[in-house]
Formats: sequence, C-alpha cells, structure tokens
Amino acid sequence: MSIERHTLLNLLQTILRELGEDLGKDSLLQTDEKTPLFGSRSELDSMNLVNFITEIEERLSDDYNIDITLANSSAMSRTRSPFLRVGSCVDYIIELIDKQNNE
Amino acid sequence: MSDLAFITGTRKGIGRAIAEHLLSQGWIVAGCSRRDNDLKHENYHHFNCDVSDEAAVIKTIKTVKKTLQPIKVLINNAGIASMNHLLLTPLKSYQDIFQTNVQGTFLMLRETAKQMSRTGGGRIINFTSIANPLNLEGEAIYAASKAAVESLTKTAAKELAEMNITVNAIGPTPVETDLIKLVPKEKIDSLVKQQSIQRLGTHEDILNAVDFFIKPQSDFITGQILYLGGVN
Ligand SMILES: NC(=O)c1ccc[n+]([C@@H]2O[C@H](COP(=O)([O-])OP(=O)(O)OC[C@H]3O[C@@H](n4cnc5c(N)ncnc54)[C@H](OP(=O)(O)O)[C@@H]3O)[C@@H](O)[C@H]2O)c1
Repeated sequence: MSIERHTLLNLLQTILRELGEDLGKDSLLQTDEKTPLFGSRSELDSMNLVNFITEIEERLSDDYNIDITLANSSAMSRTRSPFLRVGSCVDYIIELIDKQNNE
Repeated sequence: MSDLAFITGTRKGIGRAIAEHLLSQGWIVAGCSRRDNDLKHENYHHFNCDVSDEAAVIKTIKTVKKTLQPIKVLINNAGIASMNHLLLTPLKSYQDIFQTNVQGTFLMLRETAKQMSRTGGGRIINFTSIANPLNLEGEAIYAASKAAVESLTKTAAKELAEMNITVNAIGPTPVETDLIKLVPKEKIDSLVKQQSIQRLGTHEDILNAVDFFIKPQSDFITGQILYLGGVN
C-alpha cells in the first residue's frame, strides 16, 4: 500500500473542493497545506469534518486499495491534532500507512 | 439489482436463520463468523472475521463493497454469553463478552455506517436481550454488555439520522440455540414466567422483527429497542 505525498494532498484538496461546492463555501475551492480544517478559522463545522474524514478513508480504499481508519487513538490523544491543517493531515495519513506497512 | 445485507454470526443459531430468511426473499447476503460456515447458496458470501478485530472488520466491510456491492442493511447478531454467579465470574469472561458483544457491534457499526453515509443511507439492527431489562441473576456481565449495546443503539440513531441511517435493536427472549444450551431448565422456566407471553421464542419471532425494521416504510423508526414476549 502506498501513495505519493503530492497525490494524497491533491486528493484532500479535491474532496475539500467538492465539499465547498456542495456547501457553497468559496474558500474551500482553493486550498493549500496551511488551510485550517478545524478551529475557529476553519470553514468546516464538526459534521463537515466527519464527512471529510470519511470521504478520505473511502477514496483511499476505493481508488488506492489503502484500508486504514483515521480515527486512531494515537491521533486523538496528541496535543496538536493532526487534523488541524491540510498539511498536517497529509503527514498523519502517510504516517499511518507507513505504520500499517511495517506491521 | 437486489440489495445486500451483512449479518454477523451466520454460522449457526439466529444469525443463520436470518441469513436463510433474507436469501429466500431474494436478498444478497454477506455474513461472517470466526469459523467456517457450511451455508451454501449462490447469493451467500462468507467471511471468516472476528467482529472484535478492528483490522479484520475494516478489511471485511471494504471487501464487501469492492467485490460485491455496498451494504444496505447491517445486522449485528454475533454475540456470546456466559452464565455464572457474579462472584465466580472470571475477568476473562467479562473481556470476551464485552469484546464480541460491545466492541464487535461498535466496530461493525462504525465501518458500515461510514460506507452507508456515502451510499444514501441504510438500516442497522443490533442485538440485545431481555436479560438486561429483567436484570437476570447469573447473567450480570452478559446483561451489562447488552445494556451497552442498547445505549450505543440510541446514541448512534441520533448521530447517524442525518445520514439517512436508522439504528434499532431487537431483544429476544430465550430461543433454543447453543447460546442457552448450558443454562439449566429451571432457570429458563423461571425466566419465561417473567414474560407477558410465557413461551420460548422462535426464529420466526425474530425474523418478523427484522422484516419490520428493514422494510422501506420503517424509515421513520430509529433508536428503538424492541423486546419480544411482552418484556419492557
Ligand atoms: N438464543 C437466545 O436465547 C438469545 C436470547 C436473547 C438474545 N440473543 C442474542 O442473539 C444473538 C445470536 O445468538 P444465538 O443464540 O444465535 O447464538 P449462537 O447460536 O451461539 O451463535 C452465535 C453466532 O455468532 C458467531 N460469533 C460469536 N462470536 C463471534 C465473533 N467474535 N466474531 C464473529 N462471529 C462470532 C458464532 O460463530 P463462530 O463461533 O464461528 O464465530 C455463531 O455463528 C446474540 O447477540 C445473542 O446475545 C440470543
């Protein structure tokens, strides 16, 4: 199981763009590594974030054969959440895939 | 095309009866149990999966979608019990019971609901037991695990409603399966006496409740615990 970092970043940006189109939020149409995913500066409410994460998992599985769950205790217990920004989310997913590959 | 139902614990007992029933109604059925299953039918697909194993559950649920089709109905039937006085109950029994009954239901529900949220919704049915509302002596840990399943059912119903997913639970009375074969007859008799309708349950009683929760018109029914035999 593997995916290039830039491919993964593209995937997250595509999902955010689709979400932005659905929700009528222009700021999600153009995102980058620094775009916040949650917190007061994020455009996503808590349910949008749930849908965003679910969508990532399903597309990784459907299109790249990568079966992981992002709701992992190591993510939830960190002081800095990996879901804070697009870039940190990408790093976290790469880390999870590497970990699974090494098991 | 027929819809697909995923049923846990189809090797024997109630899960097996539900699988055969839905197959006879034209459903595509996928099911799992830890051991091999001798259920053979052109529309039945078996997975050897322990519902308490996170990686196995993720793999199974994703494989069903990729190789068959998305899941429309999930029936969390797999469950284990153990009868013992509380003071003689080993920690291991507690762990095993909670792992299958609670952790298994949670993992299956989580992974399947993610899929359903993207495919237009679905129906989830969990399994509880009248052991919980009747506070059955000798079944403290089993009843506690079913209390957890009931709570999970009600909260999941709220969280998943906006995804067009209903979550309900069926609470059977004793039904003659391996699950209760070690329970002494006097114990079963005294239990049945506490029901409004005093007889053992049958597979048909449960199939009727399953049919009710999955029929299209039941889309306004969620978060409900349906006990059989007039227990409440
Ligand atoms: N029978 C009753 O009187 C009664 C009353 C109230 C409620 N219930 C509930 O009804 C449900 C079904 O009970 P039953 O009477 O049909 O039990 P059963 O005859 O003992 O069958 C249990 C089924 O679940 C499977 N299973 C058990 N642990 C599993 C695990 N960790 N992962 C995957 N599959 C597993 C078993 O297959 P493997 O062994 O191959 O895994 C088997 O197919 C349970 O939730 C039970 O609590 C039963």
